[in-house]
Amino acid sequence: MDVSDKDHVERCRDGHPEDFGLLVDRYQKPLFSFLASRVGNYPQAEEAAQESFVRAFLSLKKLRKPESFYSWLLGIAARVAQEQFRSEIHRRQGREAAETMMSSAAAERADYPLEEVIALLPENHRQVILLRYYEGLSCQEVATRLAQPLGTVTKTLSRAYALLRQELGARERAEETVNRTEPS
Amino acid sequence: MNCAESRDYFIACAEGLLQEDQARQCRAHLETCASCREEYEAISRLQQRLIARGQAAAGVRMVESVMSRIRQEQFKPERETIMSRLMKHGWGFGLSAAAGAAAIVSIILWTMPNAQAAAEAVMTQGAQAVARLTSIHLRGQLRTEPNDNFSGINPDADFCTIELWKQFAPDIKDLKWRVEKPGRVVVMDGKTTVMLIKPAKMGVKVEQPTASAFDTEWLQRIANLSNTISNEVKNARAKGWKVSMAEETGADGKAKSVVTILAKSGVPDNEWGKNWFYDSADTRRVYRFDAQSKLLESVRIYLVRPAGEVQIFDLSQIDFNQAIDAAEWTLDVPADVNWAGLPDKLPILPDNDKYVSMTAEQAARAFFEACARKDWNEAGKFMSPITEDMKTGLGGVEIVSLGESFASKTYGGRFVPYEIKLSREMIVRMANTNAAHRYVIMGVCDSNLESREELHWTNGPAVLPDNDAYARLSPAEAMKAYAAAFARFNWDEMKKFAPDYDVEHDKAQCAEIEKSGQDAHKLLPQIEVGEAFWSAEQSGWFVKCRLVQDRAWNLAIRNDNAARRWQVDGGIGW
Repeated sequence: MDVSDKDHVERCRDGHPEDFGLLVDRYQKPLFSFLASRVGNYPQAEEAAQESFVRAFLSLKKLRKPESFYSWLLGIAARVAQEQFRSEIHRRQGREAAETMMSSAAAERADYPLEEVIALLPENHRQVILLRYYEGLSCQEVATRLAQPLGTVTKTLSRAYALLRQELGARERAEETVNRTEPS
Repeated sequence: MNCAESRDYFIACAEGLLQEDQARQCRAHLETCASCREEYEAISRLQQRLIARGQAAAGVRMVESVMSRIRQEQFKPERETIMSRLMKHGWGFGLSAAAGAAAIVSIILWTMPNAQAAAEAVMTQGAQAVARLTSIHLRGQLRTEPNDNFSGINPDADFCTIELWKQFAPDIKDLKWRVEKPGRVVVMDGKTTVMLIKPAKMGVKVEQPTASAFDTEWLQRIANLSNTISNEVKNARAKGWKVSMAEETGADGKAKSVVTILAKSGVPDNEWGKNWFYDSADTRRVYRFDAQSKLLESVRIYLVRPAGEVQIFDLSQIDFNQAIDAAEWTLDVPADVNWAGLPDKLPILPDNDKYVSMTAEQAARAFFEACARKDWNEAGKFMSPITEDMKTGLGGVEIVSLGESFASKTYGGRFVPYEIKLSREMIVRMANTNAAHRYVIMGVCDSNLESREELHWTNGPAVLPDNDAYARLSPAEAMKAYAAAFARFNWDEMKKFAPDYDVEHDKAQCAEIEKSGQDAHKLLPQIEVGEAFWSAEQSGWFVKCRLVQDRAWNLAIRNDNAARRWQVDGGIGW
């Protein structure tokens, strides 16, 4: 397996800030996708992703669980997206604009929890998902990259799918319950 | 192909990895089975979602731009103006510059008996200053093993972070607290008190709110400043502990009041367990208060022992009345956690009397014998829960000897000296698909060949000057060469088969054992290498090995529980 998030975070804290580049490399694409579905356009998503990484680096000392770096990063990104959203409303200075933005963001947000759910996977499962789908490697290339047999990669992938489906299912059910109980 | 076989192939099928005939069989099954078809379609939909998400981000490249922004942030000049600096430091520039970062100038030193009164006054003022606390957060460093008991100390261990968050309330049901160190955490959310020992995946739950639990009391005493700071001085008076008091100038140029208490635990020096826990240790406790605000600023605790003093606790971050994130009152408990029973709820067995009549030695023997037979039902009568890790470690144990039990003032039960031989199976994955074309260790698997630990070869194994000789070794021969090198602590030779960082870890562990005056050859396991086999499914070579290890220690065992049965409480390392 590649070096873990925890090791990278600890190296950064130990005076090797250049290691943060490896974390950016690892998570730039899922973070971008996560933000694109929240803010609704690519240039803003890229700006928000860069801002999120910079903020994460500057508060790395506050990260209590280095192994949860990715979940923590998504939390920062969600706040950045929210700030961006508010400042955009302010800039447009209009309730109508806000309503338009909110409805278009909601439409874009149809499957936004995917990266959040990926963040919940055990690190080795997450790595296989990210390499396969976000880095676009084939299963054989993932196996070579991680120095693992192909069989191990497909087993990990299979387990990751099961966990993702389980979590997505739970979220969908929870959302349905909320929708049912919300006053009309 | 039936449903189970077909479902095993779904991911490989969706990824286009199946051989043509397997793919055909899989498709044929899908055509006839609606339930599998639905399952396969759900997987395909998720796969399409993942592909779409990845494709949306295909051109994203931001490493350079992010790192460039980070470099700019790091070297950004301070935004403070000259005026704001002057306002902050006041006229004390000269003084703080002279004091420097570390220099602290002692100006008054009280000695007994006036110290008692002066210290008590400072502590009382400190207590009053925080009498109406709504919350506190402490973050300190303690010399301890990361997974050990919260009050466990080890002067030879590295410092590890320990933190406490506490939300005060007049009524205990509104009180909330959390104490955490790397390997264990307790959360009291106002309703229940739950402890999780992370690596062992072991949990303990008390179905009621508590003010303190699971050996966190010593830290809670520091957190409950308003009524315990003054208690410390009262204790000193009652027990005759030495107290001294000094006024100093801190690194920030401000006056500080420093109270030092030399606390004696009352445990004799030769007692087993002396200095293992905060309350069984003789300590020098240094409380530093800001003289003006009267607020406690830091606590340093030193272990006092005949060999000399060593600092065991450093509390330098104390946040008063800051909002605590509600997430601190929640605990993510893994679904597969093993819940331990509480002593006051230990069930009475149908043949409970048989166990009650045992001596501590008989109970220790019965426990180890049950582990030797892998009779986990029987072993569970002496310890609960028995985790999978314990089963792996203790299953098949061989008893070498058991000694006579003894008591200690540090512990409410008894200790039984034991010597045992542990052995466990390990399967090592080897590969020679590297530039040096020799077999090296890639990871460790369980008996189902599921990976338990992967080794990271950053640049792959280096080509050695005598590489050909190593390249001729079979997987089992390579593993034997590694085991032989480990038995001799020949670190350079081991690095030919395992990554440097892994060998350095073993080397550090060995140095740690020898530093504590013990024989590392006896404490570290020996590796017995068995046969190698090829797994077609995993496309890899695996070598069966056995780790054999001698262990001699004292088993902690106590019977002060509802069923009066002896329960193993510690001393076995899991």
